[in-house]
Amino acid sequence: MLSVCLYFHVHQPYRVKRYRAFDIGRDNEYFNALDQTDLNNGKVLRKVAEKSYLPTTAILSELLGRHPEFRFALSFSGTVLDQFEHYLPQVLERFKALVATGRVEILADTYHHSLSFFYSRPEFERQVALHAKRIFDIFGVTPRVFRNTELSYTNDLGRWCEENGYIGVMAEGWDPVLGWRSPNYLYKPPGCNSIKMLLKNYRLSDDIAFRFGNRSWESWPLDAPTYAHWVHAHHGDGETVNLFMDFETFGEHQWEDTGIFNFLRAFPEAILARDDTTFRTPTETVMALPAVGELDVPQVLTWADTDRDLTAWTGNDIQKDALRMVYALEHDVLRAEDSSLTEIWRKLQTSDHFYYMCTKWFQDGDVHAYFSPYESPYDAYIAFMNAIRDLQLRVTDAVRRKGERTHVKVRHSWWSRFIAWVKRLSTRIPFIGRHVHEHVS
Amino acid sequence: MLVTKEHTVERKYRCTGSSRAKFVIYIMQVLTFGWDYPPIRNGGLGVACQGLTEELIQAGLEVIFVLPRSQPTVGRPNFRFANSGGTVRVRELAFPLMRPYQSGSSFVEYFLADGRSIRVNRSILDEARRYAIEAAKIALEEEFDIIHAHDWTAYLAGIAAQEVSDKPLVLHVHATAYDQAGGGHGDPDIRAIEMEAFARADSIVAISNYTRNVLIDKYNVTPHKVVVVHNGVNLCPIEPLTPVLTEYKAQGKKIVFYNGRITIQKGVDYFVRAARRVIDVNPNVVFVISGWGDMEHEIIRLVGALGLSEHVIFAGALWDEERDRMYQSADLVVMPSVSEPFGLVPLEAIQHGTPVLISKQSGVAEVLAHALKVDFWDVEEMANKIIAALDYPVMNAQLVREGRLELLKITWRHAASKVVDLYHSLLGWWKKR
Repeated sequence: MLSVCLYFHVHQPYRVKRYRAFDIGRDNEYFNALDQTDLNNGKVLRKVAEKSYLPTTAILSELLGRHPEFRFALSFSGTVLDQFEHYLPQVLERFKALVATGRVEILADTYHHSLSFFYSRPEFERQVALHAKRIFDIFGVTPRVFRNTELSYTNDLGRWCEENGYIGVMAEGWDPVLGWRSPNYLYKPPGCNSIKMLLKNYRLSDDIAFRFGNRSWESWPLDAPTYAHWVHAHHGDGETVNLFMDFETFGEHQWEDTGIFNFLRAFPEAILARDDTTFRTPTETVMALPAVGELDVPQVLTWADTDRDLTAWTGNDIQKDALRMVYALEHDVLRAEDSSLTEIWRKLQTSDHFYYMCTKWFQDGDVHAYFSPYESPYDAYIAFMNAIRDLQLRVTDAVRRKGERTHVKVRHSWWSRFIAWVKRLSTRIPFIGRHVHEHVS
Repeated sequence: MLVTKEHTVERKYRCTGSSRAKFVIYIMQVLTFGWDYPPIRNGGLGVACQGLTEELIQAGLEVIFVLPRSQPTVGRPNFRFANSGGTVRVRELAFPLMRPYQSGSSFVEYFLADGRSIRVNRSILDEARRYAIEAAKIALEEEFDIIHAHDWTAYLAGIAAQEVSDKPLVLHVHATAYDQAGGGHGDPDIRAIEMEAFARADSIVAISNYTRNVLIDKYNVTPHKVVVVHNGVNLCPIEPLTPVLTEYKAQGKKIVFYNGRITIQKGVDYFVRAARRVIDVNPNVVFVISGWGDMEHEIIRLVGALGLSEHVIFAGALWDEERDRMYQSADLVVMPSVSEPFGLVPLEAIQHGTPVLISKQSGVAEVLAHALKVDFWDVEEMANKIIAALDYPVMNAQLVREGRLELLKITWRHAASKVVDLYHSLLGWWKKR
């Protein structure tokens, strides 16, 4: 039996407008660009919805109706959910309808699509909790499988996921890490007992996500039966084929004229053409399959570019400087206890801001490999830093107004360990687990 | 290099081995018309001609460089460059000329041997025409395969040589009348010469995509005729010099430096207006303006009118070590040009370890990725980026470090190889092989 585990990632950041030095101390809005550029968040969201979210959700819901075996997973960043709610509630309704079929799983994530796991563990945990709450409020489900921003993963994350009650965690199935092993089995992080790792089959995933519309690709034009044939070839050499990609692959990265929608429409039928092949959600995959071995990932592994590391976000000095600035604010932001300031601070943690400052592509001149709404990485840095400086002023001001009486609430470590233990136990009890989860957090 | 079996005795060959060798390499000869050549300095043109010529010689070509006048140090025929194998013969004309960076009707001013300057009742246009007549004579005497003319003052000479020799003509566009006028129509006489020359040329070399677009949009040149060859950079070892304006630095003031002619083309007025916006936010900045030009008085008046007198220093024209010291002392160098075919200043500044803010309306913006860029008319954004450059040292350090690495990739050798390819395709030599 071979199962196909599909997962689509839905995310949009709050892009910082051209926030200028003159605006510092005068303009408190960083994300409200109203021009015709791609910094106008509402405009971008409407464009992507028209090209991708609306047609793709329509096709997916049609497929769920037609094929009872068809199932897949979605992950949403909190920032995209907020934007849907604000600009396009009808898109959110479409996604809710998909999840309501019971065959669409939602994954755990950080609320703000941030790199906080690598910069501030307490902040990371707060964002994950915020995300879980938001997902439960909207979709009424509690995620069991974790995926971190940009599929970034290390042993530490695996251990953290196990301690916090997740049953699975996602990572890139990158050859240098895997060695002779295949990404088409489940693994477990070293030193962990129960949690399992789902590894992305990047070759088959990228055939759809990156190469599909490339006319110079030898397999162009790709049709669903051919692709299903490639998947079926893994019979006997794997138990699950994990296809992870951006949701926006359909219609936005690969435009409609590449035939991507027709491909998607024909995809489940082609896969199910063989009886011994089926679809499974990540949770079903984890429940059904054993971990065949340990996979040691001491360095950060992501699904980005050819380096599969964090260098697209943290590779150059301006990126490191911006990250340092944003996390240096943590203490004061929490002390200020002003929810709107905290929320703005978190929006500034979204990894996309740092991605826009990437200068890697200057070396190979491949401008299109790294999309950015800014004209230059330096423009992105200047707008971001100006905004941070304004936030810094406001935070300092808020802290001063609050006076010295305020202290940050610190959870006792024995208490958080206890909660983690309860949560972990709860995941073993079907149906009840979710409620326990809710009550203790 | 073309390897040919058939050859005639009277042409020049370089034998590959013994004198009996069957295969010989034919040396391509280029008749080049320029206007000035180092060490005479008149702007970037002569420097660019030198950079390209030296690399062409390095590539095995023979270059006959014709100059309109005798020069103090390289003004002898059969001049050989000490650092290159080939020969540059500098031909001289009987009549000396000066400065092409003026309108066509400006009078020519030149210097006598004893240093006295005299004005001659001849316009620069007349000089260009006279140059053309002399060029025809030279073309009859010399032997060459291709003609290459740099900038409008030499276009007529190039056309004249083409007329008498029927050899292909390549025009090298470093600047146009459109650029000189800061985006206007420019001098009608110069424009007429340019229009005619562009129409007659077999091929046109533009020093940037920016210039190529100007040629296509403003001069209606057919696009396939224009080839872009970016200028190179003459890298030289940089020594740390003693800083200038130390008393300002001691006060914690930041220095923003403009270096270039003060003309409408260079956008100094936008720079001054941006300075006003910067001072509004951060009064701890000193703006240094170095150069001369016909807008000087207007700029001084503008500085006064905006109340910037205590923040702006007019340094006059700075050259060599003085200029380099200024580059090294500055925290940011700004090139706000309205229309800049290439732009050497940012490259010099980066070599001296100072980051740059350059106008998007410049050719150099195409080759420099690690630079701050702004539309020349966007005064607010220019001021925003000046403030950012002064406030964020991490970014400054990265701009300089990465910018220096980028300079290594912008070479005259690369430019010369593109020019040689162009010569070969014009002569149809690739097909023969």
